[in-house]
Amino acid sequence: MPSFSETTYRSVVAVWRTLRSMRTALILLLLVAVASVFGSLVPQVNTAPGAVADLFRDRPLQAAVYRALGLFDVYGSWWFTLAYVLLLISLASCLVPRTRALFRGLRQQPQPVGDLQGMRLFAEGVVRGDTDVALDRSRRILRRRRFRVAPAAPGLAAEKGAARENGSLIFHWSLFLLLVGVVIGKGFGFTAQATVIEGETWTESHASYDLPPQEGRFFGEGMHAGFQLRVEDFDASYHPSGVPRDFVTRVEVIDSAGRSTGERQIRVNEPLSFQGVKVYQQGYGWAPVIDVRRDGRPLTEHPVVFVTDTPNDQRQPWRGVIKLPSLRPQVGLEFELFPDPVAGVAGAPMLEARNPFLSFQAWRGDLRLTAAQSVFSLDKRGLRPWRSGGIGLGQSTTLPGGLTVSFPELREYTQFLVKRDPGTWIMLAAALLIVLGLIPALYSSRRRVWVRAVAADGDGTLLQVGGFALQRRAAFEEEFRALADELVG
Amino acid sequence: MSTEALTQLSNTTFGITLILYLLAAVASFHHLAFHRRGVLTTGRVMGWTGLAVHAASVVSRGLAAGRVPWGNLYEYVTVVGLLVVAAYLFTERVWRTEALGGFVLALVVAGMGGATLIYVPPGPLVPALNSYWLRIHVVMAMIGSALFTLGFVFTVLSLLQVRKERRHAAALTPARAPALVGADGGGERPADYVPAEEPDGSSAPAAPRGRLPSATTLDRLAYRTIVFAFPIWTMAVIFGAIWAEEAWGRYWGWDPKEVWSFITWVVFAAYLHARATVGWRGTRAAVLAIVGFGALVFNLIVVNTVIAGLHSYAG
Ligand code: HEM
Repeated sequence: MPSFSETTYRSVVAVWRTLRSMRTALILLLLVAVASVFGSLVPQVNTAPGAVADLFRDRPLQAAVYRALGLFDVYGSWWFTLAYVLLLISLASCLVPRTRALFRGLRQQPQPVGDLQGMRLFAEGVVRGDTDVALDRSRRILRRRRFRVAPAAPGLAAEKGAARENGSLIFHWSLFLLLVGVVIGKGFGFTAQATVIEGETWTESHASYDLPPQEGRFFGEGMHAGFQLRVEDFDASYHPSGVPRDFVTRVEVIDSAGRSTGERQIRVNEPLSFQGVKVYQQGYGWAPVIDVRRDGRPLTEHPVVFVTDTPNDQRQPWRGVIKLPSLRPQVGLEFELFPDPVAGVAGAPMLEARNPFLSFQAWRGDLRLTAAQSVFSLDKRGLRPWRSGGIGLGQSTTLPGGLTVSFPELREYTQFLVKRDPGTWIMLAAALLIVLGLIPALYSSRRRVWVRAVAADGDGTLLQVGGFALQRRAAFEEEFRALADELVG
Repeated sequence: MSTEALTQLSNTTFGITLILYLLAAVASFHHLAFHRRGVLTTGRVMGWTGLAVHAASVVSRGLAAGRVPWGNLYEYVTVVGLLVVAAYLFTERVWRTEALGGFVLALVVAGMGGATLIYVPPGPLVPALNSYWLRIHVVMAMIGSALFTLGFVFTVLSLLQVRKERRHAAALTPARAPALVGADGGGERPADYVPAEEPDGSSAPAAPRGRLPSATTLDRLAYRTIVFAFPIWTMAVIFGAIWAEEAWGRYWGWDPKEVWSFITWVVFAAYLHARATVGWRGTRAAVLAIVGFGALVFNLIVVNTVIAGLHSYAG
C-alpha cells in the first residue's frame, strides 16, 4: 500500500503533468478570453459606475445576482483571478523545464553522430583529404553559413535558429513581468483628482485632493512629493463647429524646496511629469467669484466651483451654492451660471464666456451643517425658499437685511488627474521584451545539420550529411540542398 | 482645392472603388465557375485600378480633413479595406491565390458598403485623439486587422476545401517529425506538443493557376498571414496602452475596446498554440482563427456602436 506522502506526491505530479500540457494551456487561454467577455457586456463599477447604479435602481434583483457573481467587477473577481493565475502557473510549469533544458543544452556535448542514412534530407559523397581535413572544411563551411558547430565524433553537429527558442522563452517569461509591473504600480503608487482654480496654488499632498487619494498598500500618506503648482491660466478652445480643439492649463511648477522651476503647460495627451508624479488634464469648469456682504462687511468673497451634469453638452447652466451659516436664520444661495446667455437661450452650447449671467434662489432656515453634506448642493429639509434674482458680470443686487450679492469676476478651474505609478517602466520593459522575443519566436526556424566522416579507400573521406528542420521545412529543403552540394560536391 | 471639392472627390472615388471591386469580384467568380482566362485578367486589371482609385479616395479624405485619414470609424474601415486589397493583390502572384480575388473583394465591398452607413463628413480630431501615439497605434491596428481579415478568408476557404477533399483529409496532418539524431530536440516540450511548422505544402501538387488551392496550401497561407499579423497586433495593443497612459493616465482600464482587443489577441495566441497541440491542429485551430476574426469584427462594430466606451471612435 502506498504511503500517504507517496499518494500526495503522485497526485501533485499528476496535476503538474496536466498543467504542463499544451491542451491545458490552450483551454486556459480560451477560458481567460471567455471570462473577459463578461466585463464588456455588464457595466463595470470602475468604468461605468452610473450604469451600475441605474441597474440597482431599476432591477434590484438582477443587480444583486450580478453583484454576487462578481459581474460588476469582472477583472477583480475571484473567478477571473483564478483563470489567469492558473494560466500563469501552467505557463511557469512549461517554462521551467524549457529554460533548464536551454541552459543544459549550452553545456552539453552533442551525442555521437549515428547513422544518417535514414533521414529524409540526406546526401553523401567522397571528398579529398583524411577525415580531419574533411571535417575542418565542413566546419568552416557551416560556420560561414552561421551554424553553431560542435564536434560529435565521428562527425559534427550543427545548429541554427536558436533565436526561436530563446525568443519564445523571453516572450513567455515577460508575461510574468507584466504582472510584476501591475503589482508594483498598484502597491507603491496612488491615483487622485485635484481641482484648482485659476490663480491658486496647489500642493501635491495627501490632504489637498478632492477626495482622499487611492494610495497603494506600500504608499504612505507622508510619501507625497510635496511640490506645488500655481495655476496661472486655463484655456479651452473650440473649432468653429463647436468641436473641442484644445484644453490647456499653464502652471508654474515649484519644487518641494520652494524653488520655481519655470512654467509648463498641461494639456490632453501631454501630462506634466514631475518628481515621479504625473499630472493629467482631466476636466475644467467655471468658478465665478461671488462676493456676499452684510452692511458692507464681507461674508464671502471667494471663487466658487460650479459643476455641470452634462460636461459634453454645455447647453445646461452650471450649478453652485454658497452657504452662509453665520446669519440668523441661516441662508443658502443656489446659483445657476449661464456663461453665454444668448447662446443658452438659442439652445446652443455655452462654450465661452460672453456676458455671463448668474441667477440665484436664496433659501432661509436651517442649513443642517452638523451632518456631512455636499458642497455642491443644499440640504433643503430645513430650508424655505426666500428670494430669487439674477446678476450679470460686474453687477450686484441687494437682499433684505443689508445683504448684497455681487459677481465681480468669472474664473475657470482646472481638474487634474494625479498619479504615481512606479510600475509603468516595468510594463514598458515587459512590452519591449514581448515584442523582441515574439519576432524571432515566430519567424526564425530551428534547423540542424549533422556531418559524419568515414575514412574511404585511398586518401579520401566519405562524408554523409543529414538535415532536419523543426519549422519551415520547405524552405529548409532548398537550403539543405545548397549546403550539401558545397559539403560533399 | 477647397475642402468641399476634396470631400466631393473622396466620396466620388469611394463610389467608383466599390463599383470596380464589385466588377472585379464578379469577374473572379465567373472565372472560378467557367475558367475563362480573359475574364481573370480583366478582373485583375479592375482590381488594381480599384486599388489606385481607393488610394486616391483615402488621400483626398486626409487632405480634406487636414490630418491623417483615420480619425473615425468610417475612415478606419475604408483604410483597412485598402490594406486588405493591397495585401491580397501584392501576394496573389507569389502565393498563386488568383482564384480567391472574388472572396476577398466581396468581403471588402461588404465592409466598405457598411461603412457608408456611418459616414461622417471630414472634420478635426478631438484633443484626446490628437496624438503621435494614436497614429502609430491605429496604423498598427489597421495593418493587423487587414492581415487577420486575409487570414480569415484563407481559413474559411481551407475549411471548405477540407470538406471537398474529405477523403484526403489526412493531408492536413503532416507526418510526425522523425526521431532526432544527436543532441536532443532542444527545449523540453509538453507531451502533447507537435512542432507548429507550416504544413508541408511541397509534397502536395500545386493547384493550376486560377483554381482554388488545396486545403493544405490554404491552411499554410492562413497560418503565415496570421503569424505575420500577430506581432503587429501585439504592438497595436502596446501602443494603445502607451497612448492611454498619456491621454487618460492609465495604460489599461478594461474599457470595452481594450477588452476586445485583448480577447482578439488571446484567441489568436490560442490559435498559434492549437497548431502546436496534438488533436487541435487542422479544423479546430481553423475554427479558432475564425473566432479571432469574429472578435475583431465585434470590436469594430458592436463595441463602437453599441457599447460605447472611452474610445472616442464611438459616436
Ligand atoms: C499566458 C499565456 C500564453 C500566451 C499569451 C502564449 C503565447 C504564445 C505565442 C504567441 C506563441 C508563438 C510564439 C512562439 O513560438 O513562442 C507561443 C508558443 C508556445 N507556447 Fe505559449 N503562450 C502562453 C502560455 C503558454 C503555456 C501555459 C504553455 C505551456 C503549455 C505554452 C507553451 C508554448 C509552446 C511550447 C510554444 C511553442 C510552439 C512552437 O514551437 O511553435 N505557452 N505561445
